[in-house]
Amino acid sequence: MDVGTQLPWGKAMLRIDIHDAGQQATLHCAGRIVLGVEIEILRCMAEARSEACLILDLSGVDAIDAAGLGLLVELHCRACSRNRTLRLTKVPPCVLRVIELVNLRSVLEIEANEDDWHDDEAQSPCGRFMTA
Amino acid sequence: MPEPAQSVAEQRVSREFNFRGDPDSLAASRQAVMDFIAPYCSSDIEEVDILIAVQEALANAILHGCQNDSAKTIHCSVVIDPAAFTITIRDCGPGFDVDAATRASESGTNTTAHGRGIAMMRSLMDEVTYRNGGSEVELRKLRAV
Repeated sequence: MDVGTQLPWGKAMLRIDIHDAGQQATLHCAGRIVLGVEIEILRCMAEARSEACLILDLSGVDAIDAAGLGLLVELHCRACSRNRTLRLTKVPPCVLRVIELVNLRSVLEIEANEDDWHDDEAQSPCGRFMTA
Repeated sequence: MPEPAQSVAEQRVSREFNFRGDPDSLAASRQAVMDFIAPYCSSDIEEVDILIAVQEALANAILHGCQNDSAKTIHCSVVIDPAAFTITIRDCGPGFDVDAATRASESGTNTTAHGRGIAMMRSLMDEVTYRNGGSEVELRKLRAV
């Protein structure tokens, strides 16, 4: 799939690919989850989902700031209040480190087992993507 | 990662920036600072640490210092010497209660959407110093030996 729009300095701000699978949807995020249009588009796309389980695949994320962490907490709390699940998967070390710095490891649902990763979804024909 | 034009093992380099105080300018402002700093970073981790800290400081200056007003200006200076990266960000706002904000930001698990910026900056940088009642912050990251 096309890698999407890149900024002049060569780093995508945030690209999100969506994959539906029944009562579960996965948002594959790549780029930076930081204050600005990046977190706004992630918020919009996450809130638009109606599945019981929403998975955020963060394997392509290279940086997250306090506003991005705040959004993850916000989405987690909103999912809990609606008896839904928000799960983070493929969290890269740089993001996990920041999550641990602010004591959110025990708050957010983070999938640690690589065997649970669903790489086959990347080939799903129902995938779509947006770029912020 | 591109090579720096001159080695800072032998000298000090610096640059001054002025940015607009509105959120739309945040990404470009952050990138301008990082375009200057990144060639001198010794690792991707060091670069990302500085990027996040600069992002937090600029975001605070825009949101709280400038109240998202594009007519207001944020001044940023970057000094890179053999010992450290030193980034100073100053806004024109009235400042804030630094001690109270620091305590709130570092008081255990925060399950709200806000209030993590100062704790993140303090965790990622070696020194974070507020001056002028909070309207100026100096971020200092010691350089890897």
